[in-house]
Amino acid sequence: MKGSEEEWNMLKKVQQMDFVVVELTLYLDTHSNDEEARRQWREAIKVAANVRKQYEMNYGPLSLTSVPSKQAIDVGWQWNSTPWPWQR
Amino acid sequence: MWVYEKKLLYPVEVTTCNPMLARYLMEQYGGADGELAAALRYMNQRYTVPDKVIGLLTDISTEEFSHLEMLATMIYKLTKDATPDQLEKAGLGAHFVNHGHSLFYENAGGVPFTATYIQSKGDPIADLYEDIAAEEKARATYQWLIDISDDPGINDALAFLRERENIHSLRFREAVELLKDERDRKKIF
Repeated sequence: MKGSEEEWNMLKKVQQMDFVVVELTLYLDTHSNDEEARRQWREAIKVAANVRKQYEMNYGPLSLTSVPSKQAIDVGWQWNSTPWPWQR
Repeated sequence: MWVYEKKLLYPVEVTTCNPMLARYLMEQYGGADGELAAALRYMNQRYTVPDKVIGLLTDISTEEFSHLEMLATMIYKLTKDATPDQLEKAGLGAHFVNHGHSLFYENAGGVPFTATYIQSKGDPIADLYEDIAAEEKARATYQWLIDISDDPGINDALAFLRERENIHSLRFREAVELLKDERDRKKIF
């Protein structure tokens, strides 16, 4: 089962920002004194949380600890629903 | 603990059903230098390395599990619509009679995964050098896979994974230097 193109594009944004966080985290694992990288990480994690919230409000939870908004409950907030990542 | 994220690390788009390519990709799924080996290796080594590099081993291991899921997605998509005849022609006849259309942790030659692919030596420098080698071998395998594959969607995802192995190798090299610095400081005082 495939989601809409709009959903796919929004999910890609979440993937992009989460990847930035992963990459900066690995970098900071071996460069703990790099203040500029830490500043970028703080910024990225905020943007990542924001795009995730946007996605989840419209299309449902990405993780078990996702917090449902009223809007999300109205559109049928459900963890156990398709498509799973390999079904897209 | 770990929390599942209902998305891939990087999008995987598959152009056509191609069980032969799926079979080759199994090298990086359940092979000696594959993602399962990488994830399990680092996750196991992290308990006995110096505090300075625990975060790195934890984070890279976690990323390797997301690579494993990307490989699984590729293999699943490339084989889900294949007939038994097509699977047999791709060299997956023996796989089909044992596993049907399901996935299995094995390499491109059909050899099941074994823990003997990986080591944990209790010596951080020895472990990290193994990890660097593992990343370089995985990078090389991704290059061979890109060379043999003509699926643009798969090649895009494989190129991403190849670059990630480069980054992991670099981070592990930096970790070696961090530990050497620490060791040298201890000698001075």
